[in-house]
Amino acid sequence: MAKKLLVAGMAAVMAMSVAACGSDKNDDNNSSTTEKATTPSTESASTTDGASATETPKDKVTFSMFLGVSGEKDVNTNETTIGKVLEDQTGVNFKLEHLVGDLNTKIGTMIAGDKYPDVMVPDAAIEEVMKANAFIPLDDLIEQYGPNIKRVYGPYFERMKSDYGGHIYFLPYSAQVGEVTSDPNINQGAFWVQRRVLKEAGYPVIKTMDQYTKLIEDFVAKHPDEDLTGTLTLTNDWRFFATSNVPMHLDGFPNDGNVEVNIDTLDAKTYAGSDSEKRWLQTLNTLNAKGLFDKSSFVDNYDQYIAKLSSKKVVGFFDYGWQIGTATAALKDAARKDPSQDDYVYYPLAVTWDGTKDQYQDPPGWTSNRGIGITKSAKDPARIIQYWDNMLKEENQVLINWGIKGETYEVNDQGRFYRTQEQIDKIDQTFKEKYGFVTYDWDFPQYNSTSTFADGNARSVGFQPEVFEMSLTEGDKTILGKYGIKTYSDIFDKPEDRPWFPAWSIPKEQGSAQQLWETKKDDLLKKYYAKLALAKPEDFEGIWADYKKEFDKLDTAGYEKWYKEQLQKLVAIAKAK
Amino acid sequence: MENDAMLTTSPSTLENKPTGLKLFFTRLVQQRMLVLMSIPFVIWLIIFKYVPIWGWTIAFQDYQPGLKFSEQKWVGFKHFKILFTDETFSEQFLRAVRNTLAMSGINLILGFVTAITLALLLNEVKKMAFKRVVQTVSYLPHFISWVVAAGIIQTTLAPDGIINELLKWIGVIDKGQEYLFLGKAEWFWGIFGASSVWKDIGWNAIVYLAAISSIDPAQYEAAEMDGAGRLRRMWSITLPGIKPVIIVLLIMNIGYLMESGFEPQYLLGNGMNVDYSENIDIFVLKYGLQQFNFPLATAAGMFKTVVSFILLFAANNVAKRMGQDRLF
Amino acid sequence: MANLASVSKPRKFSSRNSSLGDKIFDISIYAILTILMIVTLYPFINTLAVSFNTATDSMKGGIHLLPRQFSLENYKFVFADNSVYNATMISVLRSVIGTIVTVFASAMVAYTISRPEYVLRKFVTIAFIITMYINGGLIPNFLLIRDLGLLDSFWVYILPGVIGVFNLIIIRSFIEQLPDSILESARIDGAGDFRTFINIVLPLCLPVLATVALFSTVSQWNSWFDVFLYNSSNEHLSTLQYELQKILQNSNTTSSAESGFANSSADSNKVSPLSIRATMTIVASVPMIIIYPFLQKYFVKGMTVGGVKG
Repeated sequence: MAKKLLVAGMAAVMAMSVAACGSDKNDDNNSSTTEKATTPSTESASTTDGASATETPKDKVTFSMFLGVSGEKDVNTNETTIGKVLEDQTGVNFKLEHLVGDLNTKIGTMIAGDKYPDVMVPDAAIEEVMKANAFIPLDDLIEQYGPNIKRVYGPYFERMKSDYGGHIYFLPYSAQVGEVTSDPNINQGAFWVQRRVLKEAGYPVIKTMDQYTKLIEDFVAKHPDEDLTGTLTLTNDWRFFATSNVPMHLDGFPNDGNVEVNIDTLDAKTYAGSDSEKRWLQTLNTLNAKGLFDKSSFVDNYDQYIAKLSSKKVVGFFDYGWQIGTATAALKDAARKDPSQDDYVYYPLAVTWDGTKDQYQDPPGWTSNRGIGITKSAKDPARIIQYWDNMLKEENQVLINWGIKGETYEVNDQGRFYRTQEQIDKIDQTFKEKYGFVTYDWDFPQYNSTSTFADGNARSVGFQPEVFEMSLTEGDKTILGKYGIKTYSDIFDKPEDRPWFPAWSIPKEQGSAQQLWETKKDDLLKKYYAKLALAKPEDFEGIWADYKKEFDKLDTAGYEKWYKEQLQKLVAIAKAK
Repeated sequence: MENDAMLTTSPSTLENKPTGLKLFFTRLVQQRMLVLMSIPFVIWLIIFKYVPIWGWTIAFQDYQPGLKFSEQKWVGFKHFKILFTDETFSEQFLRAVRNTLAMSGINLILGFVTAITLALLLNEVKKMAFKRVVQTVSYLPHFISWVVAAGIIQTTLAPDGIINELLKWIGVIDKGQEYLFLGKAEWFWGIFGASSVWKDIGWNAIVYLAAISSIDPAQYEAAEMDGAGRLRRMWSITLPGIKPVIIVLLIMNIGYLMESGFEPQYLLGNGMNVDYSENIDIFVLKYGLQQFNFPLATAAGMFKTVVSFILLFAANNVAKRMGQDRLF
Repeated sequence: MANLASVSKPRKFSSRNSSLGDKIFDISIYAILTILMIVTLYPFINTLAVSFNTATDSMKGGIHLLPRQFSLENYKFVFADNSVYNATMISVLRSVIGTIVTVFASAMVAYTISRPEYVLRKFVTIAFIITMYINGGLIPNFLLIRDLGLLDSFWVYILPGVIGVFNLIIIRSFIEQLPDSILESARIDGAGDFRTFINIVLPLCLPVLATVALFSTVSQWNSWFDVFLYNSSNEHLSTLQYELQKILQNSNTTSSAESGFANSSADSNKVSPLSIRATMTIVASVPMIIIYPFLQKYFVKGMTVGGVKG
């Protein structure tokens, strides 16, 4: 369960992970000089498609690559437009294989059989792959062939080495380059509410949980015949953290997983079993007693949850933006076709217990325990490293993210990238797959999504203000205008610097005491959350006492101690630079 | 071992004089055709099914995939102790054992009764077209994966689902009193049993239908002439006709009582019913496979095997004592 | 059962009423079976409806018997992938070959362990039965397959399943049910065991062989775990179910990092796991549903063969 939580949480964090320390160092000059310093060998002139293999400086070669995540088509990278360009530059093609069944099973058999694909992205099973010594150290290869890798990942080398015994064994997906551009949309956690609720209440500023629940209560009271659901919460399977993470956010902390970290003392406190958690469950309990909470929250599956969010009957809820994409996209789409539907689009709010500083936005971060590595079965690791290095050239990062000028993006007089409406319409999922945007959007080494190119354009298309503004409807503009902000993320407080962020990505050994603590804790929470939220208000205290008694059996102090030690280590590395 | 058995049993059953071993080989040569027809498959069996049993040693190691057998660290009964005596685990594990046995027990009884009943009823249908349609339709849910089936079950049992609507319509409950079926822990076994029957009744009936079709029709004619009614014929011809199959299947399935499946419990399970829905397989997934803990999973698997054998031999013995057909 | 008990009452009164009793009996049976049909047909119809409905609309729930917004998008998505066709061929091949092999082999061994005089009978029987309840585990099995050189090979679909113990036992029960006289007469004619098996036992066992063939075909057709473990990197050996699993997971991507393409986000949701799952169910199960009536025929035929033997 813990593993899945990590996987899931990752999606959110990846969207924002930013260099722990490199953001100010990697100025434009720096990147462009290294650019020129690229060794000739990787600079292999892009030969035309027709040219025979003998004439290219390097023979064509295909490497196998396994990805421990599912969700994309198994292709040869050179079958995509972008991959073809990269193959022309390097002669390298990757034959991708995505995971279909259970990750640990697949990785377990690979390790037992001691036979690996050339390149692996083991996802959550990375600790096992490391333990089996399946990845080769990359230090020398990077030294020899990786000027761009050094430029992009250099600021993290110390941490990468310290995480895994002195060597670099894999490249985490993404590193911050250039200035931080933040996501104008909310893909992270927020308390959401239907726009009509804010409209009816005259666009009040909602900062505290009490204001939020009152807002919902009043709205439901005023619309008795609409059969509204005040609020609900997502608890299905591994997505349970959408319910259990809430106390952490209400306390004003970002998503560090199971702990709230004090920036000064580095004390890592678990919030399970805390007063904040009690207050959160008490809130749900009260809402339930008032008939404002959907009891099925604790039995519904994810499909049912999404169906309810799309039904326009749910007034408000907490969740991470990336989990509700299908529902919100459908609502937005309806609003685009019929402006009166704008009322039902959900608007994100930054709510805390006391209305003071919120930390919903992830601080600049670095995911230590996910990445891409070369296995000991690989025939020619140098070619792979050269390919990655070539990918990390700025022009290729533009290619991978924005595509080809004139085809998938345009440049205006000021040198700003943008997409025409026609291009936006053209680029649907099928197009993205064919073109290679999907293939390259995640697993390969790359600039992270909040990076900025030397010319000031955002690395991520969606983060480019020109693109965001084009996406706004009249309804969007109205509500943003009422709150006097330009983007949805503007009402959220700026994240504080946390060099370890996210704490959940600190590698934990499989089967370790920490993992066990997490699994047991999840079991306990799942059982008691439902009881506490749905209990008669007078029974709440008693059940809470039972829960505390069970919870206190876990070695929480040991877990917190382990975390503090890890945090101290990371902060020391960060300070050393 | 089997030779020993032959030695001890043969003198009483055979009047021929040659002593045990010699007799055994003489007969083996006589029966060379039977030997040829079966022994190659026994060799196959040993390779594919018995050789991998070395894997049970994993339960006694802190197994690391990739290390050689000689490099593994041996830890004795550590992983078994975790399952049965560890303070935080054992309670949960034993509960999982209880749930497993309860659910597979319910499933066994319901599954048998309903599938046999369906087969008997179908046998009474004279219109061939109707019979075939029922047969095919009742077989359909077997092809709906549990993921899809669980989705349908969850929607059906939701507070605004069809079951609650039905209960309201016939006046059992009022609006606002809708049942949260999957939230009632103690109802879970029943829901699981009903879902399993629904999904597999047609599939399970197939083997009985095949059995019925090989009953000699002459028997029915004779019974009809004696004036036996249809129910009577069902009871005294059809049922005894398929009894050997029923008993053999029953014994086999009693051996399977430790396997209550994984997907339905995993998909329909939630925090509210976990005390009744979590079975051994889910426990093993959480604390074994998801933690890359192969030894714990293996230990649990061995425990299941031991219990299965006890149940299997007990059931077979009971059948033997009762003078019924038996599995072996 | 309760229903049946109650209908048996009229029968007691007089034989004149037997036709009335018969009628009530029939009506009850038809009623019960009709209800059963409704209950078992619903999930299929529902799945069919979802598979023909647009994904965004299905997401809202509430689809029961008919699609609300008819669409072929889901099927297009599934069949857009050319690998589906090759995979279907492999699925057919493994189903056909696997079934023939297992039916023949299981029947042959079943015959030997049905012979009371066979000295190894108990040994062979128990050796097989034990394997139903033991399992060395994932990794030992994987290593075995690797050491046998079966990785990346079609035969890994066939060889590990040469005999299904369940099938073996079922067939044995049937053979044991056959009247001894038939086998004896074969013996007197001088037929050896193999010839008796081929010429007498196999034809008489048609109903059970049809059953076992059905079980085997369905399990071959549905299996994807062996593809996942042993042949996942070889697309030429992929099966339909495995490809469908891939497509399902493919439909799961709602690119989270790049949801900034707000304008096109709705378009990219042409499919969803929910609707692809439904479509997969239909695509994968229709062939199995079609073959069932053909096999049903043999259950009926079994009767006539049984009649001859009497």
